[in-house]
Amino acid sequence: MKRIIIDQEKCDGCKNCTVACMQAHRATPGTVYDLDLLDPKNEARHTIVANGKGGYFPIFCRHCSVPDCVGACMSGALCKDPVSGHVQYDESRCGTCFMCVMSCPYGNVKPDKVTHKRILKCDFCKDDTEGPNCVRVCPKKAIHVEEVSA
Amino acid sequence: MNESCYGCSTCASADKPLEGFIAKLPMETSHHRVESQETKCGFGLQGVCCRLCANGPCRITPESPRGICGATADVMVTRNLLRAVAAGSGCYIHVVENTALNLKNTALEKGKLKGLGALERLCKTFGVSGKDDHEKALNVANAVLEDLYKPEYVKMDLVEKMAYPPRFKVWKELGILPGGAKSEVFKGVVKCSTNLNSDPVNMLIDCLRLGISTGIYGLTLTNLLNDVLLGEPEIRMAPVGLRVIDPDYINIMITGHQHTMFVHLQERLIAPDVVAKAKAVGAKGFKLVGCTCVGQDLQLRGAHYTEIFNGHAGNNYTSEAILATGAIDAVLSEFNCTLPGIETVCDTLSIKQICIDDVAKKANAELKQFVFAERGKHSEEIIDAIIASYKERRPKVKLNLLPEHGYENNLTGVSEVSLKKFLGGNWKPLVDLIVSGDIKGVAGVVGCSSLVAGGHDVLTVALVKELIARDIIVLTAGCSSGGIENCGLMVPEAAELAGPKLKAVCKKLGIPPVLNFGPCLAIGRLEIVATELAETIGIDIPQLPLVLSAAQWLEEQALADGCFGLALGLPLHLGLPPFITGSKVATQVLTEDMKSLTGGQVIINADAKESADLLEKIIQEKRRALKI
Ligand code: SF4
Ligand code: SF4
Ligand code: SF4
Ligand code: SF4
Ligand code: SF4
Repeated sequence: MKRIIIDQEKCDGCKNCTVACMQAHRATPGTVYDLDLLDPKNEARHTIVANGKGGYFPIFCRHCSVPDCVGACMSGALCKDPVSGHVQYDESRCGTCFMCVMSCPYGNVKPDKVTHKRILKCDFCKDDTEGPNCVRVCPKKAIHVEEVSA
Repeated sequence: MNESCYGCSTCASADKPLEGFIAKLPMETSHHRVESQETKCGFGLQGVCCRLCANGPCRITPESPRGICGATADVMVTRNLLRAVAAGSGCYIHVVENTALNLKNTALEKGKLKGLGALERLCKTFGVSGKDDHEKALNVANAVLEDLYKPEYVKMDLVEKMAYPPRFKVWKELGILPGGAKSEVFKGVVKCSTNLNSDPVNMLIDCLRLGISTGIYGLTLTNLLNDVLLGEPEIRMAPVGLRVIDPDYINIMITGHQHTMFVHLQERLIAPDVVAKAKAVGAKGFKLVGCTCVGQDLQLRGAHYTEIFNGHAGNNYTSEAILATGAIDAVLSEFNCTLPGIETVCDTLSIKQICIDDVAKKANAELKQFVFAERGKHSEEIIDAIIASYKERRPKVKLNLLPEHGYENNLTGVSEVSLKKFLGGNWKPLVDLIVSGDIKGVAGVVGCSSLVAGGHDVLTVALVKELIARDIIVLTAGCSSGGIENCGLMVPEAAELAGPKLKAVCKKLGIPPVLNFGPCLAIGRLEIVATELAETIGIDIPQLPLVLSAAQWLEEQALADGCFGLALGLPLHLGLPPFITGSKVATQVLTEDMKSLTGGQVIINADAKESADLLEKIIQEKRRALKI
């Protein structure tokens, strides 16, 4: 399976990845100029956190081999796709228990702040044939996609 | 041609021969760097990155909707915009200040005034006179300088004299009449500094005020003062493109906006003793090769400079290619757009760089700060330095010319005066053509050339083609002109590309469907045309079937120009947004609410066909409102 590999030393906190993720998951199509940067519906699926020493931790979903989020999900809304190996979310099955939010060891599942009914998590940009948008725009090459064993 | 090209991944250009030439060059140019700068910061694009204080940079996201100080996206955007507009205005005000000073000094020295018609018109407009032409010129220059130096709380006198009365009334009602132009720039930069103004609308209003002082003084008056000193434009045909470079001469590429600084040097370069010096080192003499807006201005007034000026080679982003021909021996610069990137090209080809105004001092350039009283001495020093450069470099530099580039017969010398004269002394013939629908409307395609929005001049040229195909006549000013003419749209044969009605008009008059007013400063001339057309019809400017497009606006000066367009009440198209879309207030005011304030509006679209549709629709609406 493909996974985003992080080289945290290289990240300079520019958040280009953040804008790209928001752009990839906005409800209405448009250009980066008219992406509503204030709209919580457009929140990115990852987080860039300062490490307190002048550097950054880019935190991206690992689409874990044994995902705790999937393990915690009673309703089956989270599943590891048998083909791609990516952990995908089916909103229609979600019971809004937020157990996944509690159990991801990296904090990679976010409760949706608008509806409070669903979660936001990385879908590996599954609808985009060119793959993860965050990776494509990182000017520092701090993140890249690699084939790993599931 | 070149065994070792630097890298062929250059950006597209509307000018295909130029694109091919640049892709094969053995050195790096701006066109090569577009690719490596392709990843743009989304916060920057939307104008919501603030680093006005040590807490920054602060950026706007759903999780961080305000900066640390509490600044909203609206505050960040409008502060950044006001800062850019104030800086852009400062640039043009610097140009008009120097132009007025040069006119004043020439008048005091009883030097040559080449445009007495322009002087008379200015005297009449300003209500000044004098016992002779020199005293008149002195009084005109002083009237401009006195206004520029007024404090911000004292309104400038010439605004009312220059402006179209219905517009002046609107500006007065809106409270946007400018005080002293330099002080307005000062106020602008104060207002947008850290933790001062946080009222987005208040800052946008300031942009309009700066637009008026920029437009009337920096643009319109600079042209008219130049006319007095340098001679008025006369309609004629001229060659453009890299073909204008003649390697048999010592060639000086000029960049900038302040043509009055070259007057003395230009005359010396054709003096027999100086030509003899050139001949002594094996050249036929000297030639000035036009580049950027100062080249456009020389082209415009070319009737007065046939001996020294060989033609306009290209715009800002053609400058590196012009140098790369190897046949340029020196660059003489005095303002933008003198790209930092020319330094490496000049180094590679041993081209001497000389700067005569330190506001545009290049790292490699020798500074010969222009001082009126010392211009004689400086001219000789500059001539000697350039001859030395020629002698040193020519034997070792391989030429890489492109003599087939560009076009031979381009209509130039178009101004508010020469065009009217061409039409028979009044605007009625043009108004009649507009009323009959033979000309559907007028589009001013102005401003810069950039390497975004499709590439070098790509959107500009495509938009112009769309507009003329819809029978909309295009008037140009700025570096866009340089791109459009190098793409062949200013030769009379370009009439073939126009819609059937415009084509017939062009063929009858023997003109191209795109009329070149010259440098970006000449946006001021277009605005005189707009005013006089409105006057002839008896309407206000926003009612005219006239639109503006700065499709490939590049810099802060263009934003200040744009604010003048908005103050005049004109629809202003931009290919890419000026870093404002992160603010809902700024976007709403500029694209919608402005219509009810001044009549103007900003239209943002990067697609040539869609943009032309939008502009055509506005023109049609205006025609309907006028019942034509
Ligand atoms: S959300 Fe967390 S636990 Fe689930 S796959 Fe991603 S990183 Fe692993
Ligand atoms: S919030 Fe939804 S996806 Fe997350 S564990 Fe609960 S049911 Fe599963
Ligand atoms: S892969 Fe796609 S969804 Fe996941 S963080 Fe990157 S941009 Fe967002
Ligand atoms: S785009 Fe790359 S460098 Fe920038 S914040 Fe994201 S991971 Fe870091
Ligand atoms: S002025 Fe405000 S928004 Fe700007 S950097 Fe400082 S704290 Fe951040």
